[in-house]
Amino acid sequence: MDYQQRHLVKMANQIAGNIPVRADVPEQICAHMRQFWTPVMQKSLRQIAAETPDSLCLEVHSALENL
Amino acid sequence: MNMVQQFDPAQVDYSQDLGTPGAESDVMVTVHIDGMPVSVPEGTSVMRAAAMVGANIPKLCATDNLNAFGSCRLCLVEIEGRPGTPASCTTPCAEGMSVHTQTSRLDKLRKGVMELYISDHPLDCLTCPANGDCELQDMAGAVGLRDVRYGMEGENHLDRGKDESNPYFTFDSSKCIVCSRCVRACSEVQGTFALTIAGRGFGSQVSPSEQQPFLDSECVSCGACVQACPTATLQEKSVIDLGVPSRKVKTTCAYCGVGCSFTAELRGDEVVRMVPDKQGGANEGHSCVKGRFAWGYAQHQDRVTTPMIRDSVEDEWRPVAWDEAISFAADRLNAIKTAHGVDAIGGITSSRCTNEEVYVVQKMVRAAFGTNNVDTCARVCHSPTGYGLKQTFGTSAGTQDFASVEHTDVMMVIGANPTDAHPVFGSRMKRRLREGADLIVIDPRSIDLVRSPHIHAEHHLPLMPGTNVAVLNAISHVIATEGLIEEAFVAERCDMTSFKAWESFIRLPENSPEALAEITGVAAESLRAAARAFATAGNGAIYYGLGVTEHSQGSTMVMAMANLAMATGNIGRVGVGVNPLRGQNNVQGACDMGSFPHEFVGYRHVSDDTVREQFSAIWGVNLRDDPGMRIPNMLDSALSGSFRGIYIQGEDIAQSDPSTQHVAAALTAMDCVIVQDLFLNETAKFAHVFLPGTSFLEKDGTFTNAERRINRVRPVMSSRTGFSEWEATCALSEAMGYPMPYESAAEIMDEIAELTPTFAGVSFDLLDRLGSVQWPCNDQAPTGTPIMHKDRFVRGEGQFVTTPYVPTDERSTRKFPLLLTTGRILSQYNVGAQTRRTDNVIWHGEDVLDIHEADAEARGVKDGEWVEIASRAGETRMRARISDDIPAGVVYTTFHHPISGTNVITTDNSDWATNCPEYKVTAVEIRPASGQVA
Repeated sequence: MDYQQRHLVKMANQIAGNIPVRADVPEQICAHMRQFWTPVMQKSLRQIAAETPDSLCLEVHSALENL
Repeated sequence: MNMVQQFDPAQVDYSQDLGTPGAESDVMVTVHIDGMPVSVPEGTSVMRAAAMVGANIPKLCATDNLNAFGSCRLCLVEIEGRPGTPASCTTPCAEGMSVHTQTSRLDKLRKGVMELYISDHPLDCLTCPANGDCELQDMAGAVGLRDVRYGMEGENHLDRGKDESNPYFTFDSSKCIVCSRCVRACSEVQGTFALTIAGRGFGSQVSPSEQQPFLDSECVSCGACVQACPTATLQEKSVIDLGVPSRKVKTTCAYCGVGCSFTAELRGDEVVRMVPDKQGGANEGHSCVKGRFAWGYAQHQDRVTTPMIRDSVEDEWRPVAWDEAISFAADRLNAIKTAHGVDAIGGITSSRCTNEEVYVVQKMVRAAFGTNNVDTCARVCHSPTGYGLKQTFGTSAGTQDFASVEHTDVMMVIGANPTDAHPVFGSRMKRRLREGADLIVIDPRSIDLVRSPHIHAEHHLPLMPGTNVAVLNAISHVIATEGLIEEAFVAERCDMTSFKAWESFIRLPENSPEALAEITGVAAESLRAAARAFATAGNGAIYYGLGVTEHSQGSTMVMAMANLAMATGNIGRVGVGVNPLRGQNNVQGACDMGSFPHEFVGYRHVSDDTVREQFSAIWGVNLRDDPGMRIPNMLDSALSGSFRGIYIQGEDIAQSDPSTQHVAAALTAMDCVIVQDLFLNETAKFAHVFLPGTSFLEKDGTFTNAERRINRVRPVMSSRTGFSEWEATCALSEAMGYPMPYESAAEIMDEIAELTPTFAGVSFDLLDRLGSVQWPCNDQAPTGTPIMHKDRFVRGEGQFVTTPYVPTDERSTRKFPLLLTTGRILSQYNVGAQTRRTDNVIWHGEDVLDIHEADAEARGVKDGEWVEIASRAGETRMRARISDDIPAGVVYTTFHHPISGTNVITTDNSDWATNCPEYKVTAVEIRPASGQVA
């Protein structure tokens, strides 16, 4: 992964770990990314999830299913 | 005696000196001043009542921002039915009182007093720098003094020396009449207590500290004493050098988020001095060393006033005409768009620029560039404030006006150092604290407020950096479990589902002070005591700064504070609230103006079809509905080659943003970097186009301060660049194919008002009429909104949010055992581009590293010696200063000087919700610069 990809992974996992209300975390991650992430960033994260799935936590993977 | 004229309160000119402060009372009393009836609040002095009807009583020791003192004996009056001639400044009006201000008896007494003053005063009026602007001179004229019977040969003070140690003002004791105005200004207004009257009787004299030179005393150079002085004893050096000003322009300071109003006093096009405006809503006549004195950078020789271009950063800069620079920049950006798409370019707006300048930049990016890749320097300071307060209250702004603090019973100051970073508001806080308000300080450092003259924080919680959320959770836990929640407020004003979820969470044992003591470093009992104090003292107000936001949990912490305010019912009235102390002058405004990549002006998301269509219609262009990139994402994309051009308005990201090496590499990778600034800053080293900016003294527009107050910034002098900044932006936009044909800054504000519900009533005309206005300003609030969320929250019901504490990834380890936190100091501002180019460097010529004695000793570090500071991100060096203001395990420094490279060592960690960098927590190790590690 290059710097940009590593940063996206860090951001995504950090969002998952910090979403305050712990119910429906994937849904909230999804909403957060729709609100603040560019489509290109979202697409890159999907690609990372496919290529290096272990880099992302389970909640992020779940979120990506609906993103 | 004028028996015909009637008193009209609306006609009182409050800009004049009414002699004593106003009184607050619901009871009105009516007195007759020289036969004229006047009704005033009970407690009003006779002097003030007289001034209100135009009967100005001679005075020297009195001025209306200081409590009456009654020492000069010039303001004597006669009151029917009362013996003697009381001082009008210390005599309160009483119902039915009949006062005479001009009688032959009073004339004789006043003349006698003046005669004594003048007999011990240099008779050098014609060559005195205050000639024509001297109250002593005015009073001598007012009482008709024509000779001095005592002569000038008696014992006097005329040979006293002059203290010229302060870079900005002189202290000529030979001209002093010992009226104590300076001493009282220092204590009552500024709250520093640096001045006193030394000696007794004839030997009495004003003394900084223990008869030290001003520069060596505790004086903070706020200028309050200079402003208070009725003679030339305390005099601005600029007035001595240039002469008494001949014209005045009201404007707004461009330093911190307090947004002080000033009167710029000039001779021709040259500023002689900046005088704080008594009617300024934010500062009410007070100032700090930066706003009052450190404006000389605007004329500094380093200022670049001609556009410059170069093909490569390896080339020398080539000064060119504006047309050529604009054309060069537009061609480069258009070429990138053609080759790499519209998302390969973007822009950054500046919190130092006016609302109007910011608005046109974000409009250019969205409309001319065709992307939402616009962000602002607020990204690196208060973006978590925007996020957190919007989630909980419904709008991204502080809740109070500054005056609210005068009704606060307990202040909670978190991650802020107001006496240094927001000094004018800090003085206001100190005044309230001296009146008896309680103080809770949550900060690793022992900031000045913890202990300063007549102030002591009953509760100082010196937490470990990075544990804010844990501390706030513990405080709320105590409030929830000890029955201190304001149930009625919560039930009436808040969303109960979210409250119940939060209450269940916060009551968990894991949030107790005892459970969190080890993590936070704060004793459980201290936390419990602070929690009880906040919940039970009456009006509780939270004030916070970047010590809250610049963390990986910055947004969570903002929401935790909002929870606390709602749970204790401390929101929606005067004296309470959640109050971000904004770092730069126009952080609030830059955020308001649509600088974030996901929202338009007024915090409305770009995906909102209705809003977007409104903007599209007015702007005449189709707009994107997807969020753009934030600054860190732009920089990341630059490194990967997909982002290649950027317009940077008034921000020095190569110095101010974290992980300098990363920023430099990203800028180096770009094909076109456009910098618009006053100076060739660190970022300009990577730029291809330099567009000269204008200083605040040349700008026409508005700033919005931390209390949402929109203040006018008026052009004091002509633009040194020949262009307004917004004109330069509009020229670039037009060259890229999207004209923005504004005729004036006022026209830009009109468009902002048309598109923004919270600004709907704002116009330059309104601001000129009212002085300033706090948004929302619209049909519902035509003169603005000092206190928000009064009857309901902007979002309807207040939303509680659970706030689990998640530790930052940045941990101290055996390799990096200390935690570095950063901040700013009084005399310098941000990256220092302005203040380093003033005489303020006399107080802070370099950044230093504060280190606890135990940590220093363990490493062989000596006070004043160079040390190397290493983090996971990089290394730098600076001098060490042994300090007991910080706990063991924590070190502290500032980032005002680029040579210090403070941000070389800060990491790329950031807030989970907003990417605000985590400047406040960096694990480091320190060693003596020689290299040996103890």
